[in-house]
Amino acid sequence: MRARRVDWRNASDSDLAAGFADGDDSCLEESFRRWGSLIYTIAYRALDSSSEAEDITQQVFVGAWQGRTSYQESKGSLPGWLLGIARHRIADRQRARARDLKVVRAATSQANVKVESQPLVTLIDRLVLVEEIQRLPHPRGTILRMAFWEGQSYSQIAERLQLPLGTVKSHARRALRQLRVRLEEVTSWST
Amino acid sequence: MVHVNSALLAGHALGQDDALDAADQEHLASCSHCRAELDQYRRVVTLGQGTQASETPTPPLDRIWRSIQAELAPTSATEEIAATKTMVADSAPSLTANDRPASDVPGNDETANDKPLSVVAASDETTDAGGAKPIPGRRRKWWPIVAAAAALGLVVGAGATVIINRNDVQVAASTALSALPGHTGHGTAELLRTPNDPELRVSVDGPQPADRYREVWLINSDGQRMYSLGVLPESGTATYPLPTLLANGLDGFTIVDVSIEPYDGNPEHSRNSQVRGTLPE
Repeated sequence: MRARRVDWRNASDSDLAAGFADGDDSCLEESFRRWGSLIYTIAYRALDSSSEAEDITQQVFVGAWQGRTSYQESKGSLPGWLLGIARHRIADRQRARARDLKVVRAATSQANVKVESQPLVTLIDRLVLVEEIQRLPHPRGTILRMAFWEGQSYSQIAERLQLPLGTVKSHARRALRQLRVRLEEVTSWST
Repeated sequence: MVHVNSALLAGHALGQDDALDAADQEHLASCSHCRAELDQYRRVVTLGQGTQASETPTPPLDRIWRSIQAELAPTSATEEIAATKTMVADSAPSLTANDRPASDVPGNDETANDKPLSVVAASDETTDAGGAKPIPGRRRKWWPIVAAAAALGLVVGAGATVIINRNDVQVAASTALSALPGHTGHGTAELLRTPNDPELRVSVDGPQPADRYREVWLINSDGQRMYSLGVLPESGTATYPLPTLLANGLDGFTIVDVSIEPYDGNPEHSRNSQVRGTLPE
């Protein structure tokens, strides 16, 4: 048993993963702090139910903790692993719902009932991206939010933030590169 | 070949038309590496632009965290083994989800806590699931035996060849050992009757993880009790003497379990098992 308590708040994802796999329960808490909200949001958006989202989030962290020894860093990041568990849990729920729906459909002869609005993987990537954009420091994050979500042009952004146009463009490029790498890191899990 | 600068590619993906000059454009047309990188940026842009303002309620993180803590509150070791196996089977992404039943079947998640043995025991083992009550402090009493057995494990393993070549040794029962979810390996366990104490010969063909050792356990089908038989040598084969008490029958100690243990000096089962099998009683 380990007696030392480490402050994991500033630890890298990779160090946190090692502590998690090693059974340090403060790593579970920190992982929940980092990714609990993301996983809840994904589950909520996929299932459109706060109680199910709550349930899934709980299951993901309990499941990951109890199965922590099967985590292998060579296969991907800790968030990638957690998201993989979440994806399977959510997909299970969606399949169960689809089955229920089939029964309903058979009973009421209603055709063309829409089950899923967008593929789960796309939804996850999208919400991971939102999370990562929100974590970008100012002004980089602000620039990207304005460009992506408010549809503003770079010159509009430059004017509003009172920054040179070149600075805005360079931040946007760097942010995009950063996001590409983060998206890859966070969602990676080879099965 | 000089690739197009990543920053320029990112700019191009963001729709900055002035990002690439004619030479860059020409290079891009013939370079799959740069096109792949550009595609990745475009994907991020598409994902980002397609994102709508979230209507997600604020997650009740405090409540969820309390539920997680409550669910992970200490239970008996075997229950945790069972829970681990169930949860891994349910949730590990390395498994094929499509082949599995939905995990939200009512009561499925309770199975691990209420009926540890239905999971711990092999499928052909009839168990008194749920009937066994935890016996406070009971496991603790085994640890002196455990410690002694662990200390002897390597010595016994080294002497194994001598022991198993004796003529008066009979294989009374045997079982295949199969890998648990998330693990690879297989093996056999044979219960040997000798003129003296019974012995268990274990042979595992599977990877020994770096910075870990393996330990052989005999778990009771009541899910409450277990013996540590000792360390499994790196060769994967060893023979272990069993407590004399088991000379006339296994008395329910039928589950042979090989765990992967960290070098932490903690005598308890790590709840991380590599292979497992059940001997016929």
